[in-house]
Amino acid sequence: MTLSRRHFLTSSAAGTAVMGLGLNLPSAFAETSGMPDWHLGYTSAPASGFEPSAMRLVYGKVPAGLKGTLYRNGPAQFRYGADDYASHWFDGDGMVQRIAIADGRAVHSGRFVQTVKHRIEQAEQKFSAPGFGTAGLMSFPVSGPDDVNAANTSVIVIDGQLYALWEAGSAIEMDAATLATKGPKAWSADLAGMPFLAHPKREPDGTVWNLAISGRQVGVYQIGAGGGLKSFGMLDIGKAAYIHDWAMTERHLIIMVQPWLNESLRPPVVEGFEWHPEEGFKFLIVDKDDFSKRRWAQGPARAFYHTGAAWEEADGTIRLDAALYKEPVLGVGGGADEIRGIWNGPDAGFISNLTQIVISPSGDARLIETGLDGDFPQVDPRRHGLPRRLTALVTGQAVSQPGKTAVSVHDWSSGKTSTFDFGESRMVEEFLFVPKPGGVREEESWLIGPVLNLKTGTTDICVFDVARISDGPVCIWRGERAWPLGFHGTWS
Amino acid sequence: MNKKTLIAAALGALMIAPLANAAPLTIEIDNIRTQTGTIRLGVFDEAGYKSDEAVQGANITVDGAKVSVTIDGLAPGSYGIKLYHDVDDNGDMNTNPFGMPTEPFAFSNNAAARFGPASWANAKFEVTEEGAVQSINLN
Repeated sequence: MTLSRRHFLTSSAAGTAVMGLGLNLPSAFAETSGMPDWHLGYTSAPASGFEPSAMRLVYGKVPAGLKGTLYRNGPAQFRYGADDYASHWFDGDGMVQRIAIADGRAVHSGRFVQTVKHRIEQAEQKFSAPGFGTAGLMSFPVSGPDDVNAANTSVIVIDGQLYALWEAGSAIEMDAATLATKGPKAWSADLAGMPFLAHPKREPDGTVWNLAISGRQVGVYQIGAGGGLKSFGMLDIGKAAYIHDWAMTERHLIIMVQPWLNESLRPPVVEGFEWHPEEGFKFLIVDKDDFSKRRWAQGPARAFYHTGAAWEEADGTIRLDAALYKEPVLGVGGGADEIRGIWNGPDAGFISNLTQIVISPSGDARLIETGLDGDFPQVDPRRHGLPRRLTALVTGQAVSQPGKTAVSVHDWSSGKTSTFDFGESRMVEEFLFVPKPGGVREEESWLIGPVLNLKTGTTDICVFDVARISDGPVCIWRGERAWPLGFHGTWS
Repeated sequence: MNKKTLIAAALGALMIAPLANAAPLTIEIDNIRTQTGTIRLGVFDEAGYKSDEAVQGANITVDGAKVSVTIDGLAPGSYGIKLYHDVDDNGDMNTNPFGMPTEPFAFSNNAAARFGPASWANAKFEVTEEGAVQSINLN
């Protein structure tokens, strides 16, 4: 039925009414019953996915010229049966959400990526694959990384082709319209099964660069705007560091080697990581045109998941921004409590600091810290790798639930931050820059992203004008359902 | 029926003198996706399974979705099979830059790989004086 199960779950009154009718309740109800409202973000999505469903415009006016599709990916399978919970948030099977926006209307659909892991676990109705934070069962066959690929971290569209991304396995090709899974992408025959990181970087001309990580070995993909592989090279970064994201200027790749090291890489992978602050934070700067031209820079030890982007000044100074933490977060058991509906309040160790890392032409890295606690930094795609001023990110630690409640845009030139806080009872996800048609300046963009609205039990799609963030959204669409919190998206 | 080709010395196999009471091991390989190249297999005893030293071997020209081969001269006992499909016939198991195989491979009993070759415990089977048959699905 299109009227989702979740529709019934949005208020306890409705739940009681349904129970009073003695209906045979869907299992999703039992899962949510007794859980805090924010657990909606960690509740398994229906295995059959979400059929396309129009969202209602509930606030504001849709800006003229806003047309495109927001794709997002995130874990969406958290429990089988009564008590078989995912061991780590990062190990839930990926589900791609698609929000198609045209003519002022928004239509949402969602589909699980049909990975080997998802197919086997759905058939057996239990978690069995080893993963980032999961030991897995010895009976689960693993002939290569794609057998355990959760395909749950991000998405990219290259020349109309949609890919679901993980970080330790292949990109998975999907149909951009129907979200049907096609299978793992081999960029060339001899690169079959190579990992494809969840944070590819796109130059303004459409060229995509990305990394493959295996311990201290790093592969570098260069993919043309048409989707064909242009080059592949290898680098040695000396240490088996955790690399989720990286940075790129017009001329250089910057491999960011945080001192969170793992020499064994056996599942659960996360348990093998050790924090070695004495190693510092190392940056391998590589010439895109000649990988033999490379140098190292070093800065104080920090942990991170996400960068905004990098740029280079005329004298060769490199600047990049990232959400840095004093120590690693979401390590062993990351998100496992939330999946079970448990939240112990804000964690003082889980505070980031939006930071500009400045690497002088021949020297080391220094940090310019804003003190802004946020993550999921995003930049104007017209300026990826080029000088720019603005970084958008998710901010505002919630007090009564996990996650963040606000959207901010930080201006590196003025040092000022514009913020809109949705307040408690909202869980704000990553917001993406969408350039306005004909616009040139960074401010001539919208930000678009989802907000899980705990009052209505729906996921809302919100649009901001980057020039007027603190005024709040210019429009909000609301569907009749919520979907699990995701990680990253792309606009196409 | 498929044409069968038997070439000894695959995977560095050592030829041993046939024993009077040795019986044939028939290996049937099914589900071959790309019908070119050669399936290269080794038959190992327990010590050789770990050190990759085969007691017998075969190279089978692939001309259909299913091929088979019969190996004679094995003494009764426990054996394991490792095989791969050399699709481009370059004599090697191709791997990607991180060392993961990019050509199909399989083990006796269809034992599953788990972060490396299938274990001896899962791959071993008995060859008796009556012989043995192994049916292997190449995925």
